[in-house]
Amino acid sequence: MTTKRRIIGIFVGVVLVLAAVLLWRRHVYEDQVLMMRTDPDVILSTPGLRDAALNRGRQVFAENCASCHGADAKGSRSKAIPDMTDDDYLYGQNKPSEIEQIVLHGIRAGDTKGWNLADMPGFAKAIPYTREKLPPLTPGQVDDLIAFLRAANGNDGYDEARVIRGRTMFTTTAGCWDCHGGDAAGDPAIGAPNLVDGKWLKGNGSEADIRHTLERGLAGVSPAFFHRLSAYDARVVSVYVASLHPPAKPAS
Amino acid sequence: METPPSSHNWMARHSERRSIILCAIGAVGGLIVAGTGLFTAQGTRMAGVPAEDVAMVNQVPILMSDYLANLRAAKGVGLDKATPAQKKEILDQMIREELYVQRGIELGQQNDITEVRAALVGAVEAQQAIDAAATQPDEATLRTFYNQHLSQYEDEGTITLTDMIAPDEADAKAAVAEIRAGRPVSTAASAHGLRLSGKLADGEEYYFAGRIHLGDTLFDAASKVPAGKVSDPINAPDGIHVIAVAQNTPPKASPYEMVRDKVLNDYRTDKINRMQAGADAFLRRRADIQIAKGFE
Repeated sequence: MTTKRRIIGIFVGVVLVLAAVLLWRRHVYEDQVLMMRTDPDVILSTPGLRDAALNRGRQVFAENCASCHGADAKGSRSKAIPDMTDDDYLYGQNKPSEIEQIVLHGIRAGDTKGWNLADMPGFAKAIPYTREKLPPLTPGQVDDLIAFLRAANGNDGYDEARVIRGRTMFTTTAGCWDCHGGDAAGDPAIGAPNLVDGKWLKGNGSEADIRHTLERGLAGVSPAFFHRLSAYDARVVSVYVASLHPPAKPAS
Repeated sequence: METPPSSHNWMARHSERRSIILCAIGAVGGLIVAGTGLFTAQGTRMAGVPAEDVAMVNQVPILMSDYLANLRAAKGVGLDKATPAQKKEILDQMIREELYVQRGIELGQQNDITEVRAALVGAVEAQQAIDAAATQPDEATLRTFYNQHLSQYEDEGTITLTDMIAPDEADAKAAVAEIRAGRPVSTAASAHGLRLSGKLADGEEYYFAGRIHLGDTLFDAASKVPAGKVSDPINAPDGIHVIAVAQNTPPKASPYEMVRDKVLNDYRTDKINRMQAGADAFLRRRADIQIAKGFE
């Protein structure tokens, strides 16, 4: 083979490899375009996209989320880290689009696009809440609130007068109703948990756990991954997390 | 025999005119490309809009995630349910906003408008907070932080007391002696003319509230008195106080597991503060700051 033919052969080989790489990149790009330009809330019901999202989403979760939420995504009640496999949604209604916003912009993470509307005040402080004027409570008032919340979750044996005082406190002075609602059923639009469903974000609903939260407050943080994850990975991990929860019940 | 001139030969022939024409075509082509790039911002345009964006405005992306959030916020629908008109309306709004932001920067409004400057400062500070919040320290690091800042994780102590003012020092001492000897507080108080100070409600209080109500001097003395005991007479500007303590539960550090979420938040806050101090020093170090004489 002459030198000239050898050079031509190498040139053609390089061109073919480049063409193959470009075709592969084009294929990847088109897959990403399809994933990113589809409504995130319908990906789980779109077979081809669903599988791709769940496969990659599982990896992204293991690398970025499992360190707090656990490899089984069950969170930790002692650390106030939500369980992602139950049907109790703290923020939103388990839509991938809502979860994607949390993945990208976080909760109380300093990102102005994130969820950052309210914190749980700590009532055993001179200034329970810096965003809104709320009075501190006395130990007796905290006891009454505990009685009301425990009774509302089906625990018997609480003095009726205490329960009534606690309910009054809940709907007036303490300002609890403002986030948790007058019926204490919570508000997923601001991440205020339902307090009468027997499910607890922190602890197990014992007197000591409720007292600790009432006295010290609570303001969990979910990091904003906007600068750490690609948009594609944020999308697929959101779809994966949504797939872990049982389907949302229709509004009654 | 003479061969007719072929195109190959024509190409091989030297032609000064052809060289000039080719040069001119090249120059005009170059000028068009440069002009397009300079005056229309189209010169460095990407071949397509990246997958994660919905549009590019002068090469600045409009993110799909922002577009979806706006669509939901303004129209209450997701991408699948939105009509073409709704999608176009939201995209047009976002493109307009981006154009105005870019125009604002061209006009130097970050130099003129206080709100823009404050927003920029806040955004840079927030960026540092976001980076710090995204770090996940291991448990050993958090436990070390907890042990180093144990007082931050104390529950608020509670105290129930009766604060009384005696008519004079002798009555105060006599009442204290009788209470310590086992006489009921109310009996000893009325026997020696002690009256309630009115500084606090008759009930259990958190330590912070007791301190606010009694003031530092009285509270410091009261908090050292065990449950069921009485303080020595305390001289204060409004009289001689005697404090009988019915219940006293001093602050106690909560176990790590119970306050782990707060430890993590405090650790991140501490890191943010350190990062901001570092950023301040770095920006000053690399900046050329000249300060007028007398203002150093």
